[in-house]
Amino acid sequence: MSKELLKGNIAIAEAAVRAGCEAYFGYPITPQTELLEHMSSRMLELGRVFLQSESEVAAINMVYGAASAGARAMTSSSSPGISLMQEGLSYIVGSEVPAVIVDVVRGGPGLGNIQPSQGDYNQLVKSAGHGDYHPIVLAPANIQEAIDLTVLAFDLADVYRTLVFVVADGTLGQMMEPAELPPMRALRPRPEWALTGKGERPQNIISSIYLSADLLEAFNQKLQAKLALIAQREVRYEAYQLEDAEYVVVAFGTVGRIAKTAVQNLRRQGIAVGLFRPITLWPFPEKQLSELADSGRIKAFLVTEMNAGQMLQDVRLAVGRDVPVHFYGRMGGVVPMPEEIETALAELVNGNGRLPKTILEGKNGHPTR
Amino acid sequence: MSTNTIPLELTRKDFVSDQTVRWCPGCGDYAILAQMQKTLPELGIPREKIVFISGIGCSSRFPYYMNTYGIHSIHGRAPTLATGLAVTNPDLSIWVITGDGDGLSIGGNHLLHVMRRNVNLNIILFNNRVYGLTKGQYSPTSRKGFKTKSSPMGTIEQPINPVAIALASEATFVARSIDSHTQHLGEVLAAAAAHKGVSFVEVYQNCVIFNPDEWGPLEDRRERDDHMIYLEHGKPMVFGRNRDKGVRLNERFEPEVVQLGEQYTVDDLIVYDARSKALAMMISSMEHPYFPTPMGVIRQVSAPNYTEGLMAQIEAAQAQKGKGDLHKLYRAADLWEVK
Ligand code: SF4
Repeated sequence: MSKELLKGNIAIAEAAVRAGCEAYFGYPITPQTELLEHMSSRMLELGRVFLQSESEVAAINMVYGAASAGARAMTSSSSPGISLMQEGLSYIVGSEVPAVIVDVVRGGPGLGNIQPSQGDYNQLVKSAGHGDYHPIVLAPANIQEAIDLTVLAFDLADVYRTLVFVVADGTLGQMMEPAELPPMRALRPRPEWALTGKGERPQNIISSIYLSADLLEAFNQKLQAKLALIAQREVRYEAYQLEDAEYVVVAFGTVGRIAKTAVQNLRRQGIAVGLFRPITLWPFPEKQLSELADSGRIKAFLVTEMNAGQMLQDVRLAVGRDVPVHFYGRMGGVVPMPEEIETALAELVNGNGRLPKTILEGKNGHPTR
Repeated sequence: MSTNTIPLELTRKDFVSDQTVRWCPGCGDYAILAQMQKTLPELGIPREKIVFISGIGCSSRFPYYMNTYGIHSIHGRAPTLATGLAVTNPDLSIWVITGDGDGLSIGGNHLLHVMRRNVNLNIILFNNRVYGLTKGQYSPTSRKGFKTKSSPMGTIEQPINPVAIALASEATFVARSIDSHTQHLGEVLAAAAAHKGVSFVEVYQNCVIFNPDEWGPLEDRRERDDHMIYLEHGKPMVFGRNRDKGVRLNERFEPEVVQLGEQYTVDDLIVYDARSKALAMMISSMEHPYFPTPMGVIRQVSAPNYTEGLMAQIEAAQAQKGKGDLHKLYRAADLWEVK
């Protein structure tokens, strides 16, 4: 296999196909519609299922149904569409069926706009449906990573029988860059828990209902144990130039990529900055960040996001109170330029770990503690 | 509460907003907007009593262009916002602007219920049989076999007939018109506004970018009269540019197109009755090219609207039990004392 020039949304779709996605259900919404369109022609060619649903509510429940039959199933949407899916997400986790969802995030709240945003961090990481759980959330920063994480998403969904999100934004969805697609995998056999017709084996029932309090608590404890296992085994992040860094920018997805450019530029000036980029937003690389903070070398963290500071709170929890955590963000579909992050970082360095008032009170800065 | 308003002489211009209209050049939406702006001044309703509520889609940009109150709401949910508004402020003239995607796909459920409740409002559904805003995927009204970006081999789904849905949902006013026949459209919009209760109007709309050929001869000024039948209550179903064709009920109780002349005369034709649901149902099944497309008021009956029903119940409740007394309500439950 060799690299080819690929558009983000198409690359994700094709990666899903090659990972053995057997059924795709979705509803058009900008900026992810090309993903759906790619599926509409690809899936048929391969003898698989494509269905344009009547809404996102329908799409997620069709995924629920197909996944219950043991098919690798997925849907994709963008922020308001994901909000609509909440009920289905919770039932999928409660029934322990695997499902993959791609969220190409747009600006909110409400209709917002179709520009790139990271405003779905909380929605995906903290509140993807009612009940006590987190879905696995994978956040690629470039198209190659989007491809690789989409494949991984299907594998993780299967291993843990849970919900896995791949979270991108309009920048990643619409941009083109060279990347390599994985080889086509054979469809995996239907798992033994799936609804494939009883025959001689005991009956399988897919359900999330536990009428007795004891049974529900027992299920929830099992679910928590599973989540703890995921948290222990599946953390992924990128550590860039952290070995000797005194200032660390923490950013995910597209902003992580932009921040990397900022770090490179400052390094050229001999400034000891580094990048910590969470790839799994859940499980969050809490321990790794915490160890970094405890190294005694870090003078300050700068969290940058395309939102008002959602991951910021997780970074603060991980870092604790000994090292200052500052924030620089843009919202409403405004993508920060590397120079902006560079300036914020440089100011942080000049202020010896404190951000001067100008940044804190500027229209984009966000006061920290 | 009510204040004396000085009746204003409003003109079309009063309903034109200061927003730049952003539809594709040639889009059928322009004609519908123009007709709406022309029709509203004739109704004598002050602008501040008019609200346009839309969901998401090309058609849903409508409220920006009307110099009235407006809500650009959630995809598919406009009927519910409109219901909330209608029951809390029955004074308003409410217009729900939706499309085949917004109204029949994601919002299909809400559309049924706002109609069956007979909420006093007007629903205008722009039907272009394609998703325009997301750039060309098939919709619930797309013809079977329609090739789009999401149906490269043609759709395999049976399309929905919006008029039949409205009838099945017991809408008390159901009509159809087309963007390019501006005079007809204006008349239908005025009739919808005049109706008390829910009015449902399907407007055939030309999406010149993603589905330009959908309405074919219906959009053609010279040919259209041969392909549409303008329903008129109490009148025989005659059509054609020479008014030489008609629709009769054949021996199998099905509509049949006949040539007027020696074999059949006007007396053999169905006399349209907009009060008859059975007739409306049958007429709604007449589809181009096998039949002329029925246009105009397909059904109109009078029935108490939702707000009237609600008010009547409130009056009845207060007559029976007096004005609300929370304390009494608490006491009305089965109570016992724990000692
Ligand atoms: S896409 Fe179609 S419906 Fe939308 S504005 Fe353009 S022509 Fe009109």
